[in-house]
Amino acid sequence: MRIFFLLLVATLATRIDLFAAEAGMPQLDPKYWASQAFWLILVFTLLYLSISKFFIPKIKDTMEDRNNKIKDDIDEANNLKNISEKKLNEYNLLIEKAKKEVQKILNENKNKLNTEIQNKKKIIDKEIEEEISKAQNEIKNLKKEAVGSIGKISEEIAMKIIEEISGDKLNENSVKAAVAESSKKNINKYL
Amino acid sequence: MATNPMHQFNVHRIGPEIKIAGVDISFTNASLFMIISAISICLLLFLGTKKRKIVPDKIQLVTEMFYNFIAKMISDTAGSKAKPYFPFIFSLFMFVLFCNMVGMLPYSFTVTSHIIVTLILAIFIFIAVTIIGFIKHGFGYLKLFVPSGVPIVLLPLITVIEVISYLSRPVSLSVRLFANMMAGHTMLKVFGGFVISLGLLGGWLPLSFSVALTGLEILVAFLQAYVFAILTCIYLNDALNLHH
Repeated sequence: MRIFFLLLVATLATRIDLFAAEAGMPQLDPKYWASQAFWLILVFTLLYLSISKFFIPKIKDTMEDRNNKIKDDIDEANNLKNISEKKLNEYNLLIEKAKKEVQKILNENKNKLNTEIQNKKKIIDKEIEEEISKAQNEIKNLKKEAVGSIGKISEEIAMKIIEEISGDKLNENSVKAAVAESSKKNINKYL
Repeated sequence: MATNPMHQFNVHRIGPEIKIAGVDISFTNASLFMIISAISICLLLFLGTKKRKIVPDKIQLVTEMFYNFIAKMISDTAGSKAKPYFPFIFSLFMFVLFCNMVGMLPYSFTVTSHIIVTLILAIFIFIAVTIIGFIKHGFGYLKLFVPSGVPIVLLPLITVIEVISYLSRPVSLSVRLFANMMAGHTMLKVFGGFVISLGLLGGWLPLSFSVALTGLEILVAFLQAYVFAILTCIYLNDALNLHH
């Protein structure tokens, strides 16, 4: 750095004649001051007018447009969000309604089926009962018939046994009476 | 001649001599670079506002960044009352910035390195701010020179200091910009001259300095434009919201 400074001084010393040639600062020479003032005022005035009347309103408008656009977009987005939320609610409501209806239909069908089953059961029960009572009657009749034929057979057997034992023929009526009597005593056990 | 570091600040006439009422207002290289800067600004703003996209492209983004930068600077320093002066501050900042930046191009001319240019801008700001102050507050604007809460003994002294500091505003504002630009460009030129005079062996050191200085000068070009604009805002703030 010191060497550099020395070089600077040395160079300035060798060139000092050049400084003398132009006598210091051209800035202090008043020859063109009026010209510079005139052109500065002219150029700056024109620049000011074009900026204030033309460019700044344009830049301002552009930035305002952008802000408005951003605002509008945000508003629209909020709007769309609200609408979609509404739709979602509607959709949920619909699903709930449908679910309720399904439950309803299910219950109705169940009840219907139950009553139908009950009715069919009753009818079948009745038929079964009828069949049973019919069958019972038949059995009773058969039993009565069987009792009648048992009475006859027992009379014949009794008469044959008595004939074989005693060798006499007994009065048919008395045998009948005796058989009937013993039948009456015992028949209840089998009916 | 090219090695004279002050040569770059020379103003010379381009085209015919124009005289109005005996005053020479010829078109010079200074005028040319003022026009180049102004046209560059208009071109940038034109390209930046042409398409007006909702999602900005690069050049539109740059334009809007400038806009927001100045808008924030004004609202931070001078409050919402300064809104009507936004176009002026914006133009001022862009003009100074572009003059500085165009001056960074090799073989170009730096408009803001001339005291007369910065002085005219500063005096215009000074007069405008003073008029705005008197319009808004009447003679109450003079309270600016009488700070509240100062002991009565010190008041004459403080008032004198305040008046001097107020009157020196245009000088400090203009000299700050002019001196910064001139010093920076002179340094660049001096180091550039060293690169040649020290030759292939010794020229590398000043060359690297030159590169570093170029970076620094670009920073200074931006910074001085910013300082010029923000000081204008601060002066405007004094005129709009009298808070002494």
